[in-house]
Amino acid sequence: MNTTITTPTTSTASPRARAATSSLAASAKFKTFAVVFGISVPVMYFLCEWFNLPLFTFHPATNRVEFWWAPARSGEGPTMYWYGWTVLSLLVGSVFGLLATLLPESVTRKIPLSLIWLLPVLALIPLAYSLMPFWTK
Amino acid sequence: MLISVNTFWTILLIVHGLLAIALLGALTHQAMAVLMPVRQSAGGFVTRFRAVPAAGYATAVCVLWILTFLMGAWIYTKYRIYVRIPIEQAGYWKTQGFFELKEHAATLGLGLLPIYWYIWKNVHDPEYDGVRKSITALLAFICWFNFLVGHVLNNVRGFGS
Repeated sequence: MNTTITTPTTSTASPRARAATSSLAASAKFKTFAVVFGISVPVMYFLCEWFNLPLFTFHPATNRVEFWWAPARSGEGPTMYWYGWTVLSLLVGSVFGLLATLLPESVTRKIPLSLIWLLPVLALIPLAYSLMPFWTK
Repeated sequence: MLISVNTFWTILLIVHGLLAIALLGALTHQAMAVLMPVRQSAGGFVTRFRAVPAAGYATAVCVLWILTFLMGAWIYTKYRIYVRIPIEQAGYWKTQGFFELKEHAATLGLGLLPIYWYIWKNVHDPEYDGVRKSITALLAFICWFNFLVGHVLNNVRGFGS
């Protein structure tokens, strides 16, 4: 039997007939926050990694946490900066996102949505390049 | 103590892996559905694989990404000492390089989640059709990349090895 099925994806009438059901999904301010957050995080993460700007340094062997960047201590094993880069990127992204919600919608509507996926893709290029010592050893 | 330290961290690694598999399945279904929408009849396995209510996956994908990320971040503390150092001593530099790229990609994906959730909750709005496809495809790609790198790393030196 050749049964016709409704497509579950974006191009069918069925899902499109429904408006956003939650208040957050219908909020223009949340959209602005999400767009600016999505743009800020990859930029900030790239800057944090490239210039080594962690919010804190974690020493896994001793569970020591130090504010900002700190070198490895003698006899205390390696240091980890990824947590510090990630938290700083998310914090800055959140602050920019919240600040953007204060702007008029006429301004925020002009932000190109394509930046949201383009910037993470572009950020991966220098991030992969920064790992050159691993690729060439 | 009920279980050894090694067993504890191995359980966490397995939970991380199981969450990743769930995320991988949800994102792959969704990406296939949005990139190759089913418009006609139900056919074979691939058609049925694409014929899922894609919008309904959005919240689950966000929750699973965050949980997988947190579990990964937790076991990373032990990975840094008990896995990475032996991997470097064994000279598996490219393997370690791919792990570094995996951690970058995971964070970049985390930054996409709010807008990903928003555009899927507004699936009726054609303004977001293009960006919905791109973001979903990117998240699915990151998820597959991270899963495969994690899998290879576990084969090279999983916890308890």
